[in-house]
Amino acid sequence: MLSLKQVSKYYNTGSNKTYVLNKVDLDVDQGEFVSIMGPSGSGKSTLLNIIGMLDQPSEGYMYFLNEPVHQLKEKQRSALYKQNIGFVFQAYHLIDELTVYENIETPLLYQDVKSAERKALVADALDRFNIVGKKDLFPAQLSGGQQQLVGIARALISKPKLLLADEPTGNLNSKQGEEIMELFKKLNQEDKVTIIQVTHSEKNAQYGSRIINLLDGKIDSTVIL
Amino acid sequence: MIKNYFKIAWRNLWKGRVFNLMNITGLAVAVACCTLIFLTVYYEFSYDNFHDKLDRIYQVYNVANRPKGVEKNSAMPIPMASAFKAEYPAVKYVTRSGNMGGVVTYGNQKVDGDIHFVDPDFLKMFSFPLVQGNRNAALSELNSAVITEKAAKKIFGSKPALNQTIIINSNNEEKPFLVTGVAKDYPSNSSITFDILVRFEHFPQYKVEKNNWDSRSHIVLAEFNEGYNPQNFSKQIKSFVNKYYAGDIKNLKRDGAKPDANGDIFTLALAPFANNHFNNDIGGVEGDAISKTYPLSLVVIGCFILLIACINFINLSVARGFTRAREVGVRKTLGAGKWQLLTQFWVETIMVCFASTVVGLLLCTLLINQFKAMFKSKISLAMLLEPAHLAGIVVMFLAVTAIAGFYPALMMVRYKTVAVLKGKISGGKPGKLRNTLLVIQFTLSTLLIICTIITWQQISYLSNKPLGYNKTEVLSIPVGQNAKGSDALQLMRNELRNNSNVESVSGAYMNMGKGNDGSSMRSVLGFIYHDREVRTHLQRIDYDYIKTLDIKLLDGREFDSKFGNDSTGLVINESMARELGGKNLIGSTLPIMGGESPAHIIGIVKNFNFQSLHDDIEPLTMTMLKDFEINYIFVKVKPGNLVGAFDNIKSNWHRLYPNAEFKASWLNENTERQYLSERRLSGIFVSGAVLAIIISCIGLLAISIMMVVQRNKEIGIRKVLGANVLGIVMMLSQDFMKLVLVAAILSFPVAWWVMSHWLQSFAYRVDIHWWVFALSTALALILAFVTISFQSIKAAIANPVKSLRSE
Ligand SMILES: Nc1ncnc2c1ncn2[C@@H]1O[C@H](COP(=O)(O)OP(=O)(O)OP(=O)(O)O)[C@@H](O)[C@H]1O
Ligand SMILES: [Mg+2]
Repeated sequence: MLSLKQVSKYYNTGSNKTYVLNKVDLDVDQGEFVSIMGPSGSGKSTLLNIIGMLDQPSEGYMYFLNEPVHQLKEKQRSALYKQNIGFVFQAYHLIDELTVYENIETPLLYQDVKSAERKALVADALDRFNIVGKKDLFPAQLSGGQQQLVGIARALISKPKLLLADEPTGNLNSKQGEEIMELFKKLNQEDKVTIIQVTHSEKNAQYGSRIINLLDGKIDSTVIL
Repeated sequence: MIKNYFKIAWRNLWKGRVFNLMNITGLAVAVACCTLIFLTVYYEFSYDNFHDKLDRIYQVYNVANRPKGVEKNSAMPIPMASAFKAEYPAVKYVTRSGNMGGVVTYGNQKVDGDIHFVDPDFLKMFSFPLVQGNRNAALSELNSAVITEKAAKKIFGSKPALNQTIIINSNNEEKPFLVTGVAKDYPSNSSITFDILVRFEHFPQYKVEKNNWDSRSHIVLAEFNEGYNPQNFSKQIKSFVNKYYAGDIKNLKRDGAKPDANGDIFTLALAPFANNHFNNDIGGVEGDAISKTYPLSLVVIGCFILLIACINFINLSVARGFTRAREVGVRKTLGAGKWQLLTQFWVETIMVCFASTVVGLLLCTLLINQFKAMFKSKISLAMLLEPAHLAGIVVMFLAVTAIAGFYPALMMVRYKTVAVLKGKISGGKPGKLRNTLLVIQFTLSTLLIICTIITWQQISYLSNKPLGYNKTEVLSIPVGQNAKGSDALQLMRNELRNNSNVESVSGAYMNMGKGNDGSSMRSVLGFIYHDREVRTHLQRIDYDYIKTLDIKLLDGREFDSKFGNDSTGLVINESMARELGGKNLIGSTLPIMGGESPAHIIGIVKNFNFQSLHDDIEPLTMTMLKDFEINYIFVKVKPGNLVGAFDNIKSNWHRLYPNAEFKASWLNENTERQYLSERRLSGIFVSGAVLAIIISCIGLLAISIMMVVQRNKEIGIRKVLGANVLGIVMMLSQDFMKLVLVAAILSFPVAWWVMSHWLQSFAYRVDIHWWVFALSTALALILAFVTISFQSIKAAIANPVKSLRSE
């Protein structure tokens, strides 16, 4: 479903280029659960952002669902993204001014989903993640774990084929982290959502089907579990 | 989705309510004053536009290229209009027009009225529809009169007016008239004003001057055929001018007049009636022409204020935008498109603008009465409901939301998603844009402060300059239409002889300054003296004039009843003496009034400002010729009890004339009244400056709050490292002070240029001093500093531990 060919990302620092990603080749199939690991500054987040189309590679090609992303116009890319990709962040990034319900609903608004359908979808999601009781609270009124749950519910509301998560458990304690990982596993196995997560935890990485180790912007090694 | 936009917008606005309140206040004030200003300006420019054939009507005036410069004059000889119509083929209709007060009598009813003397074509040219009577025949008879509905109501009450006979007493003549038409009341934005129209044949001196091309007393308006182009008028009219104005041309040539580009020394020219309200260039027009400076300066100031408020809006939105960068980033990751984000921010802008507009219009209703009084504006809020104005408001509303809302929204949408989510933009640098906008705001504010100070200086100079006569203790009484001036003067002299308050009594043809009657006349006359034309103002005075007004006599004596032949005597001023040249002028004869009655100089007085300080003191000749009526009685009273003296003289007047209004005023009131338009301009500048400063400071306050929030951590660290309060206040204010200083300096050349231009219109004017600029700059700096200090001091004295902990 996803294919990166010779993707590089560099920044111009002074006169010379600093490579954050250096000619990375990566293929991910439908239904995989990939964990990206590596030391701090190795380019994990950068890679994830490029996959998620939040950032653009300096060089190289990327194909997503057989579409050449590097050739697409802004609008097409945005449409492709909206329908197929969900993002989960370490810092949750919920919108402070919106309630739990509204946060979850927002992606649907941007996809012009009808009001009645929206209601049904959000109600489903609240139910599924067990946060019905919290639907009218604002993010500041939730614990970190609950916030991340809302973040995941929001990322999944539009039924994406690919879920990207950048250290989703980074700000959580180990029990909360475990619950999130179990959830990911379930999503991957039951709902067939393809997942790519960045993590620092060896344990969390084990939930996936493949571990990719990054070092200095290059894929150092790949472990298939 | 729309509902959602509004919901989110409302929550965001509420969250930033301090800023939004400031935003709304600033913008509402701007909306209020712009509404008032633009309505006023619209009103001024709408003058006379109700005439259907406005674009085809022109006023004729003459241009004389005198050796001293071009002189335009709109006074025409009585035979001119009919000759013009007969000999210039493009003329369709023509009317002479003159104005006079009169008393209308019907039965026992006596009513003051404004009498307009016109030709029958008048009603065909101008759109004054008749509600009764026939427009084409209404003025066909010599004794026809057309009156307005309003005047008819005053004179006849509810009785029918048509075909009634009224007696009009004007210029001391009583004549009967038959009402042949009732005109619909004309709108207030009409230059031509009248209560009664009568035939021009009743105009004073008509019979005497009927065929005299040298006596000029009224204006002439003409309607041309459709499609007429006035471009070649002066060429086409050449033979006409040569035929009828040969005398003028000869005299001008003799005096060394230089021909203009067309080779003309003297010519006729056309002024479009559409521009009548602003035509203060040709001497006399219908109504009171105003200078275009006044509406234009209003427009400029309205735009300034709107601009300043928009700048606030932009600066505040941009500043707020930084704090919302993360939200934008998140929304992008949730699939928000560019337009969706833009719309969301735009909705917020629209809500703020809408609130401002509503509050602004409310403010408008509160302020309109003061505004109308202050700027002599005749606007009403009902004018806002005219479709054109509603459209204007909508357009302005959209323009403001677009200008003030679009840029910040676009800037926010352009943030790089990844960077924002990493928290890289949240701090935000001040930015060139913000600084530029602040500089613009303060440039405009300082500019207005400078203009305020200089106009104020000039006005106080005008009020305080000695004019060469006593303006505090002399009362000027307009005689009005109820009596013959010379009789009234005689009666008042006798009446006041025993009044202990009164020192002396005299009378004159021209007033000093502008009296309560509002009229101003002048009479300029030329004659040949030693083979050269001498031009002089002519003033008819009476015995004791020089004494009554405390004018200084330099040589000779003033008119005195003890001397028998004073009716042929002349008293001249210094300028006139200089114009005549030579020494020992006392006793020389001057051939004034066509030389039929040579007069001799009996006295020379020191120059005094008999005109406003816009003009230099020109040659003046004072006579006791009976050809000119006494229009004003001057009474000098003993200093001390002016109020008592006034009441005293008033009761004397009413004893003589129980029915006539006592319109007296002190001369210093009259001279002040000459500068009403200057006062108005200065009022505009003051209000503009105050508003500009207030709105700019609101913006600065909001920005300083934002800045302190952003630099909270830095301030905390600095304090921990030992910085004192003053140091921190200085650090926070410094950048802004620099900007304000730059702004002030930028405003100097503009202010200097504008003000020196304005001062050019005064023969007597103040110099522009450097300290005015220094003072204005200091004022702007102090106001800005105080504004910023509210926040910076608060931040500086706050406990640093708090701000550091929250990071
Ligand atoms: N705008 C930029 N300019 C220059 N260098 C940058 C920029 N953004 C990121 N980098 C560099 O790119 C490198 C990779 O950053 P990235 O965030 O991908 O690392 P990471 O592997 O996610 O690290 P961590 O585990 O700490 O999250 C870092 O060394 C960082 O300094
Ligand atoms: Mg990272």
